[in-house]
Amino acid sequence: MIWKSLYSVFKKDCRMMASGKFFFVALGSLVFYTVFINFGYLNFMHMEIYNVYLYDPAGTQAQVSNLIYAVDSLEEMDAMLVRDTNGVGINASDGKPDIVLYAGAEKVDRHRADYALSLLHTDDEHTPEIVGGDSPEGKNRKDITCELLFIEIVAVGFLGIASVLFKEKRMGVIRVHAIMPLEKSLFVFSKIFLFLLTDLVFAALMTLFNIGPAEMASILPAVLAQTAILSLIMSLTGFVCAMLLKDFKQFSLAYLVIALFATAPVFLSANTSIKMLWIDYYPFYHVYMGLKNAFFGMPAINLAYSICAACAILLLFGIASAAFCREMRKEG
Amino acid sequence: MIEVKDLLFSYGKDKQALHGLNFTVEDGEIFGFLGPNGSGKSTTQKILTGILKGYGGMVSLFGEDLKRVHTRGFFQKIGVLFEFPYLYANLSALDNLKYFSSFYPREQLRDAKELLDELEFKWDFLKKPVSSYSKGMRQRVSMARALISNPKLLFLDEPTSGLDPTGAVLFRKIIENERQKGTTVFVTTHNMLDADLLCDRVAFISNGNIVALDTPRNLKDQNSNHSVVVDYLYQGKQEQQTMEASKLKTGIPFAYDKLISIHSQEPTLEDIFIQYAGRRLF
Repeated sequence: MIWKSLYSVFKKDCRMMASGKFFFVALGSLVFYTVFINFGYLNFMHMEIYNVYLYDPAGTQAQVSNLIYAVDSLEEMDAMLVRDTNGVGINASDGKPDIVLYAGAEKVDRHRADYALSLLHTDDEHTPEIVGGDSPEGKNRKDITCELLFIEIVAVGFLGIASVLFKEKRMGVIRVHAIMPLEKSLFVFSKIFLFLLTDLVFAALMTLFNIGPAEMASILPAVLAQTAILSLIMSLTGFVCAMLLKDFKQFSLAYLVIALFATAPVFLSANTSIKMLWIDYYPFYHVYMGLKNAFFGMPAINLAYSICAACAILLLFGIASAAFCREMRKEG
Repeated sequence: MIEVKDLLFSYGKDKQALHGLNFTVEDGEIFGFLGPNGSGKSTTQKILTGILKGYGGMVSLFGEDLKRVHTRGFFQKIGVLFEFPYLYANLSALDNLKYFSSFYPREQLRDAKELLDELEFKWDFLKKPVSSYSKGMRQRVSMARALISNPKLLFLDEPTSGLDPTGAVLFRKIIENERQKGTTVFVTTHNMLDADLLCDRVAFISNGNIVALDTPRNLKDQNSNHSVVVDYLYQGKQEQQTMEASKLKTGIPFAYDKLISIHSQEPTLEDIFIQYAGRRLF
């Protein structure tokens, strides 16, 4: 009987999600992310960061990279730098390379100067040692796939479950479940399970299309495990918010705060030089790093992390069930 | 079927909703629970339907203490019609009924199409989404949802709300048919006509107290001054006299040329409610 009830609720939830165009939105996101990664992000990452112009009439520089543009006069170099203000000029007319550039910001200018000078040394002595087995493209693919997957689950999945629940609240049908011979937690379980399945399929397809089938097999189990943890936490949080908040307007505000709260510190800490001493105590940072480690084939799960994640999921499930029971008892 | 003793319920420290209700509902009885908004009738119904816990006193349904009944078995025996037609708007009538009936044992279920037919559902809408239905149609589907599991005890909250007069007559007929089958019906309503025509007994609830409980007939008798108003013609003039009904025993006790009408001054249930509760139902 319990399986029959679960099947009924699950089937109804699928229809609710389909009628709310949720699957369509998820498919649209998948296509958009894949196109962005393959035709936008990777091309952008392949672009040269700064153009470098060299004036060296005597040919004093022996190991000039083919990324350098040679100019015939200082006037021509100046003209190029006026047009391309991010470019860097090297005046080697007296045999010693002097940097010429439009000033930007101190740290960036140093970086630009070092980059320009590095193009004058193409010998092995200046080639860095490479760690890790990924090609630059492979690394970029994993970075961006991980970030977009994290955003999708945190923002879109969270929003998806709430929109379905607000519809059911508006129709009043949640109250009907109060008098049904149905184990009430099945209502919560079915929705969470459906969103989990959707997120897992989404994660698998994102990995397939953007990392490739060859590497997918080795990283997929860990990626799915991390996706499951994040998906359960976010969909349960979305469930609780939808039950406790009055309407979708209130939820929109909460959504902005929670989505920003979950993603902003994580991306700032992981992708910039901003150091946050408290980030080690920030749960979403660990979930994000778990997902990133999974994509890069690093050990992503340890005992403490697993226990904390399991406790958080169980606690959220309890709160979601209690919030659901409270909603069922409300007046019409 | 239902036995309630000293039922107390509070929503908070200073929000005592029920102040010790006592009543019983017999098997196969249609029992009306009447009261204005905020009087405690919804709270009582929620306790009886197992939605609200944490009450004081004793509530027994089907001969078992509600606090001890097995929830699933209990819900299989009751049917509830809410005041508003709560249905999945994106699903059709048939899909709604299929979904809600899937939680009951198959052998207990009535045929959804037969039930809709009985409720005079428009067949063109059978597979259309509920969002395209009128209020009356939605109420019919809601009633079908409440009846599809063949409940032994039926809770109806404002059953004829949103229905046109023909629909209201149909619903009253269906409720009466349910009673004929042995179903006990607990009706919560503002509609005095429904209460009068349907209920074997009615309870008036005001501020969490039952202020009167009896059959509609007895309530009217007890609160009537047993007078009649006689309109008549005498010597070309229309006149009117009010007198005790017993005075008519030996005929009209005054001279007249032609009787126009005789009206009893029996109070309505609403008059009686105002008398007991000191306020109107709305």
